[in-house]
Order: sequence, then C-alpha cells, then structure tokens
Amino acid sequence: MFPSKIKEWMIDAMISVKSKRFTLFPYVLLSPMLVVMIILVYYPILVTFAYSIQHKILTSPNEDRFIWFENYRVVLTDRGVWKAFLNSLYVLVIALLLTLVLGLLFALILKRETKIKTILTACAIVPWALPPIVNGVLWRWVFHPSFGLVNRVLGKNIMWLTDKWLILTIVGLVLAWRETPFACITFLATLQTIPRELYEAAEVDGSDPFHTFSRITLPLLRPAISIVLTISSIAGINVFDEIVALSGFSNITKTVMIETYLHSFKFLNFGIGSALIYIVMIATSVIGISYVRFVYRGTEYL
Amino acid sequence: MKRHSKGLGILGIMVFVAVTLMATSVAFPQKSEITFMIPPWGEPDPEALQKFTEETGIKVILNVIGWDEIRDKIIVAGVSKTAPADVVEVDWSWIGEFYASDLLEVLDVSEEDMKDMPTISSFTADGKVVALPYGNDFRIGYYNSEHFEKAGVAQVPETWDEVVEAAKAIKSSGVCEYPISFVLSATETCTTNLIWLTLARSGNFFNEDGTFNKDNFLATLQFVNKLVKEDKLIDPVMATSRDVEVNELFSSGASSFLIGSIGLIFGLNDPEQSAIAGKAKAMLIPGRKGVRTVSMALPEAVGIPKYSKNKEAARKFIDWYLSPEIQVIQYKRGVFPTRSSVLQELINKGEIPDGDVVLAQAKEIKPAFPMGIPVWYPEMSATIYNAVNEMVTADKPPEEVVEEIATKIEDLAKRK
Repeated sequence: MFPSKIKEWMIDAMISVKSKRFTLFPYVLLSPMLVVMIILVYYPILVTFAYSIQHKILTSPNEDRFIWFENYRVVLTDRGVWKAFLNSLYVLVIALLLTLVLGLLFALILKRETKIKTILTACAIVPWALPPIVNGVLWRWVFHPSFGLVNRVLGKNIMWLTDKWLILTIVGLVLAWRETPFACITFLATLQTIPRELYEAAEVDGSDPFHTFSRITLPLLRPAISIVLTISSIAGINVFDEIVALSGFSNITKTVMIETYLHSFKFLNFGIGSALIYIVMIATSVIGISYVRFVYRGTEYL
Repeated sequence: MKRHSKGLGILGIMVFVAVTLMATSVAFPQKSEITFMIPPWGEPDPEALQKFTEETGIKVILNVIGWDEIRDKIIVAGVSKTAPADVVEVDWSWIGEFYASDLLEVLDVSEEDMKDMPTISSFTADGKVVALPYGNDFRIGYYNSEHFEKAGVAQVPETWDEVVEAAKAIKSSGVCEYPISFVLSATETCTTNLIWLTLARSGNFFNEDGTFNKDNFLATLQFVNKLVKEDKLIDPVMATSRDVEVNELFSSGASSFLIGSIGLIFGLNDPEQSAIAGKAKAMLIPGRKGVRTVSMALPEAVGIPKYSKNKEAARKFIDWYLSPEIQVIQYKRGVFPTRSSVLQELINKGEIPDGDVVLAQAKEIKPAFPMGIPVWYPEMSATIYNAVNEMVTADKPPEEVVEEIATKIEDLAKRK
C-alpha cells in the first residue's frame, strides 16, 4: 500500500515514539492543525494586540501610530464601557442560572426510559440548532407590545422592550433557551455514565432521593457542570444577535460585544475596539480558568 | 530516439493547447466576470441583466445581502486591502467616512449626467464623485384619506400646527388612537426623522458654517416629546419599533399620518401589500410659516471599491445600470429613478401615483449638511438616536438631550 521507504520511516517513527526519543513524526501529524491554528487563531490574536496599542482610526489612515496602552486607559475609564460590562454580567448571571437549572431538570426527565424519549430529545435540541439572529427575531415577536404573543395571552399592553432591566432579563431568558439543549445533552450523557450500582448501594443504605442526588449525582456531574458553565459563559459574554434583534444598538441595553462592534465597525476606531476585545478575552479566560480550577474534578469510581 | 519523441510529443501538445486558446479568444468576445454587492431592493431585473451579459460578455454575479451588512463588509475588506465585490452599494451617509478612508474609486461623470442626476452631489466629496446614485429616496408625506374624512378633516395639513390639529381631531373622533407614526427607536431612522423634521419645522439642522443648530434641534425635541407624552398622538411603541414595522402599522390602517420613503408609494397603493390601497394619499411634508415644504434626500448609489481588480468592467456595468432604459425597468421593481428625465417621463405617462405631489416634493429637497457629510456621522447619529430614545423611554428632558448631543458633536468636530 505504502512505498517501502515511507513504510520504513513510519515504522522507525513509531519505534522512536515507544522509546520516548524526540522524533519529528508526531509534529508532522500535528502540523495541519497547527497551520490552521496559527493562521486563524494566533495570528489574528497578535494582530489585534498590535492594533490595540495603536492610534488606528480608519477614517484617518495617515495618523496611525503606536500609543502603547492609551487605548486601554480610555476604555477602562469610559463609563459607557463599564455600563456595558454590567449589562453583560447581568445577562450572564440570568442565563447561567436558567441554563444550569433547566438543563439539569430536562436531563433528569429525559434520563427516564419512556416511549417518546427519542422524540423529546430531538425536540430539546431544536433551540440550539436555530441561528442566534432567528432566535432573537422570534422572541422579539413574542414580546412585541402590539402584536406579541405574551401580551395577547395576558390581554394587556405591557411595553416589554422599553425598560432596561426587562430587556436584559428577556435577553438572559432567550440565551438560556438557546443554551439549555446543550446543557441538557451534556448532563444526560454524563448521567448515563454513572454506574447503576452506586444508586443501588445508596438505596440499600436507606438514602432518600435528595441525598442520593446531592451526594452521588451532583458530585459526579461536576465535570459536566464545568463544561456547561464554560460554554454558557462564553455564549453569555458573546451575546450579540439576540440583543440587536430585541433592542438594536441602544445605549441602555448594549453589552460589551455590542460596544466592541460599535467602536470597531460603526465608528471605525480599530484601536479602541481591539483594546476592548482584549479586555473581554482576558475576562473570559479568567472565568474559564476559574471554572476548571474550582468546579472541575476528575471523576473516579473506586 | 525514444526520449526525443517523448519531448516532441509534449511540445506538440503544448502548441496545440496554445493555438486552441488563441483561436477561442479570437472567435468569441472576451468574457469577464464581476461581482455586485447590493441590498434586495437594488437587485437588477434578471432578464435585462442577462441581455447585458450577452451584449458585453460581462457576467455579473449578484451578492444580495442586508443593507447594513454591506457597510461592514466594505470596511473589513478595505482594512485588508481587498474588495468585497467589484461594484458595491453606497449609502449617502457612508460617503464622509468612505472618502476619508480612501475606500472608493473616484468616478468620471459627464456634464450631462451631472445635470440629469442632481443627487450626485450627495456622493461628492472635495469635488470628487465616488459613487453614482441608482435609487432616489427622499422623504414625502402620506395620509390615510379615509381617517381624515371620518374625522371631518377636509384640508390636507400644510404646517406642523395643522398636523397636530388634524391628529387631535382624528383621535377625539375615535378613528385612531395614535394618528402620527414616527420612528423613535434607537435606530438610524430615528436620527434621519429628527433631521428632516428640524429642516421642515424649524430650519437648519447644521448651519452653513458647519456648526450644529442647537436651538432648532431643541425645538424639534420639545415638539416630539409633547406629541408622545402630553398629546399622546404618537404611540409609545414607536420607541421600540423599526421603520419597517412602523410602515406596516400605517399600511394596516393603524395610524393616519406618516412621513416616509418615496419608495413606499407603490406598496401603499397595492392591495396585496396594503390594507389602505386607494386611501393612502401622498402629500407635501408640512412646513412652517413662510416655508411651504422641505424634504431630505437619502439616496443610494453604487461605487467601485479601491481594490477591485475589474474596474473597467465594473464601470461598464454601472453605466448600464444607471442608463435611462434600466431606470424605467427598475422603477417597476420599486426603485425610484435618479434621473430627472426618467422621472419626468414617468410622470408624463401617469405611471407614478400622485405624480404632481411627488414632483413638487422632489424640487424641495434641502441638504442636511451644507458642508458635506462629516466623517463622524455614524458616531453622531448613534448619539442622537440613543439620547432621543432615552428622552422617550426614560423621561430624559429635551434640554438635557440637546446638551448631550451638542457636546458630542463639538467633541467629534474637534477630533477631526
């Protein structure tokens, strides 16, 4: 199948892997992915950092110059940016709480063996499959003051999309609606790996359902909780389409990603936009690392 | 010998391929391909486009996407020194920043075309034309004649005081709860609404010397605030509604009065699209004492990105797209012509509803920025629509709103 020289080289490479000597072969195998990562991830990260320390406004192309951390100072002293961070934090908390609780609840329901389990599981995935902008437009119509479903059902004329906290709560709800299927599937997959013997032993020992859940299920779900927290937090911080669909680029409800978009693409200030996105990236990394550090625990069945 | 014959064989194949290619290029006109990035309403008529390709050999690949996405794509492509397409949509409000960023090719325009398309001035910076207008969008008034009749309003309002009187009569007669449609959401339309209202009701938005006219704008804000909160003639839902939704409210008969795009004139009188077909009448935008009417142009154009590799073919396509014949065809697809000659021809043939009103309004268009569209227009616009939205939803006083806007404009002008 392989020319003899390549075959020999591959065998040599495998032997050297076994003998733990340095060899080029694993790096050759990794190289396609490395090239992709360098071009699409590391290079843009470096370029964005270079932009973030420059005066770089597209409408004045002849005034590009290095200003070091001045853009970071401007961003961190801007009240609008802090408001955007607070809005993002509010949406994040609402979305995380709802995603965790609802995801776990649905996973526990779907774990039960029923005839319609497959159909229910398929239905649960639908919101996750919807593009975020479709999700946003859909909920906009649900909460529209004149034609919205909610006001029709309530028989009232509530202005859902004018109050800041009401809009942000709705955004959190919409985000949770999108993220819950992922959480549910992750929890369900983990729940199905928990050995049945543990529950049988708990039953023999006289454990009630609450203690069985809090002492067996929950601790063994920690790796899944960590994954769900990380993915949902990233989605929460990156929320964009739903906000635009629900309240446009309004100052009152703008989140940190909207603020970044406005600076970079509306006002064409790539310096400020890049500094802002770097701060967001650092904040997201801190949150992700915290989850791994404090929530994630390797699972061992002794 | 064997080696020689192999080499000769390869040479023979190469000569054959070269001769075939040359013969093909002589026998058929040279074919080229361009891309055209345009929002849905600007899409050329497929049959006419096919004919253009057959005549010129230029194949046009359409990239029909959302209007606001186009701006972002032009900018992102410009940063990386590429062109998102060979011909792109260019809005009047993008000109200041696109010219400063050197994103568009300067276009040569004949004297004849300059005269026939007055809105070219909206796409001119420092005396250089960077885009050519294909859609002549300007603001005009619409009213629901049935509502007016039922409320006993016989006269079409000519000033804003008369608009308020008529709206109050409609409201009190129970015909319509909120007769005036006016977008107040945090969107671009809110800013343009306030600009044309200032021009029509109070006077200059920006003075001749390029300074912001604070007094005129404050008068506009106080007027709008009163209509929403005291007179309750504007539905509070306007604070969260986009222009399309507001237009739909009017076309469904839920409001009586709207200032909107000239392009709406077809849809409002089409029974398939409108519940008030035949009752929607065009009117001149009401003015003030001594000024009968003033409108504002929001034309759309096409331009060639600086980094396009097919500039010649792109220019040929633009000339075809803006030709009088194609403007007539495009008018039937809902694009209002930019050539005065085409507009006059359509009015003469009676193909434009309320043609006399349309022509009268088209003659009364005033530039919002006498000194040209500033490069910081998007930032100013965002400040205006956000501050005004807060005035309506969060009870911010108009005086505070106008101060905030004036400070921002001063700041932006200094930054320039």
